[in-house]
Amino acid sequence: MSVPSVLTVPLESIGPCFEGMIPATICSCSREGTPNLTYPSIVHLLDTQHVGLSYQFFNKTRINILENPQAQVLVVSPETLGQYRFDLQYVRTETEGPSFERMKIRLDAVASQSGMSGIFKLRGVDCRPVTSDCRAEAARRADYLPELDFFTERLSACGDLDSLLSAALEALSSLFGCPHSFVLFPDEEGKHLYTGASHGFEPSKVGSEVPIGKGMLGLAAERRAAVRTTSMKREMILTRAVRSAIQRRGELTLLEKEIPPPGLAKAQSQLILPLLVRDELLGVLCLQDPSPGRFMATDKRVLQIAACHLAVAMSNIRATVPPSRKIALRRKGALSKRSSVVKHYKSDDSIFIDDAYLIKGIPGRLLWKLLQAFVGTGRMAFTNKEIRLDAGLRLPDIKDNLETRLILLRGRLDERCEFVRLVHAGRGQLRLEVHRKLRLEELA
Amino acid sequence: MKRPKSSASISAELKAFLESGVSVVVGTRDAGLVPEVTRAWGLLVSKDRKSISLCAPLATSRKTLDNLAGNGEMTVCCSLPTSYKTVQLKGPCVERADPSRAVERHREAFGGLNERIGFPCQRTETFWRRELESSPALIKLRFLPEQIFDQTPGPDAGSRL
Repeated sequence: MSVPSVLTVPLESIGPCFEGMIPATICSCSREGTPNLTYPSIVHLLDTQHVGLSYQFFNKTRINILENPQAQVLVVSPETLGQYRFDLQYVRTETEGPSFERMKIRLDAVASQSGMSGIFKLRGVDCRPVTSDCRAEAARRADYLPELDFFTERLSACGDLDSLLSAALEALSSLFGCPHSFVLFPDEEGKHLYTGASHGFEPSKVGSEVPIGKGMLGLAAERRAAVRTTSMKREMILTRAVRSAIQRRGELTLLEKEIPPPGLAKAQSQLILPLLVRDELLGVLCLQDPSPGRFMATDKRVLQIAACHLAVAMSNIRATVPPSRKIALRRKGALSKRSSVVKHYKSDDSIFIDDAYLIKGIPGRLLWKLLQAFVGTGRMAFTNKEIRLDAGLRLPDIKDNLETRLILLRGRLDERCEFVRLVHAGRGQLRLEVHRKLRLEELA
Repeated sequence: MKRPKSSASISAELKAFLESGVSVVVGTRDAGLVPEVTRAWGLLVSKDRKSISLCAPLATSRKTLDNLAGNGEMTVCCSLPTSYKTVQLKGPCVERADPSRAVERHREAFGGLNERIGFPCQRTETFWRRELESSPALIKLRFLPEQIFDQTPGPDAGSRL
């Protein structure tokens, strides 16, 4: 490798080297002349002339560069496996600002997921101008304009939240090659996210919950920031190494419970994108892939545009007042001879069908109301508007939550109960289909 | 080459670790204290467990070799891809020689370990070929570790072994 005296290639042309998929090496030298290596490390790309080195623990590299500001970094391209060496000159340490915050959210997310939020803390970022490089390759340029065009077109055709989410997740798969995705919604208290729609998961994951502020998903929601992981396996190896060291020191009180990664059992890549409109969190979009490096910086930019468009479309649907026309279909046709018992526990609005748990909270209350109407009067058709206006349901005063709750309820019924269906029957309309005789029991 | 002070003893357990297919990088510096890093292969611990030899690709190590000829200061960092258990050894380089057959064994072991974390063997081979594409020559370096450190990521990183 030859070492030119000036930077000849924009650093972003080898952006994948800075994704942490293959560990980097940092070499520094003490004032006395003893070289030191830090491996494995992640070198962060800050701009075309600067990289950043983050540090969390005691760090000989940091001591050395404060004495002798010269360092060298060896990085590897995960795509071509070409290696690059950079001579660096330390200029400053940042403890705030956009670069610091970008790295901090990523580190905090990893720390929270691995139960070490008290241990993994970003102490600072060393920023260095690059004084030389050793090899360069053409940058991969992604042209996603046609895909974005199709994506926005498909979303524009959707008139309700359910079809919008289905169309969006299907389009993310067919247009952008993201076959595993799910959308979570915040609950009324802002304490949890629950899965309202998914694509490419069996079972569907609908209804699963994560606490806001915990784990990668919860932290992305709380900070309203994207969280991207290029190699979950390597991240897990790193966090397990640190966890083992803490355990060996007997400092068990520092450790929290590890949060199992949500979704795909063998996900290697993950991109979490908060769905925001005017800083209001409408939901969180999570994309997963079994291959490492699936979501690189360029992919994130493109998918963030798609997520922004989805959020705006969700907001527009929420703002649309559905028609108030009431439809009162009556039960017709014979029910199956079998019968089932539906129990409603008032304390938490949980619903059990034949003693198997189905759902709780607002969706549980909602289903109970619909089933009461069905069993009492044979009524099958309802409108969103009448449900919204029903004081007995005690719905929170947030417009979008009824639709997200209906999506959750519909998904749960599809998955766990073969004889009750909640069918979308046109804009703002619902149809309850029951194919078995039901006995309702209300309990405290 | 630099004269050694006193070499640290390498335990049987550490020898097994160092020869297990770990990732190996070498750090040196020039007279102006400018650091230089390069990758190395075929690490072997001597029978008396006092010295270590490893092979550096000539194509990527010219500055490293110049540095070692000038001051002999050498640092070697070895990390296991499957656990990130990492050890750093510091001491003087005492000899240059022709490469050994240990390189082939190391390549195979390194490829096997990386395969366990989802990095296919053929990718490791590509990595190897790319490193040697401008010159296939290797040179063996022998050094005497005087200080050995635990460098595994975490609160104990930097403590002496």
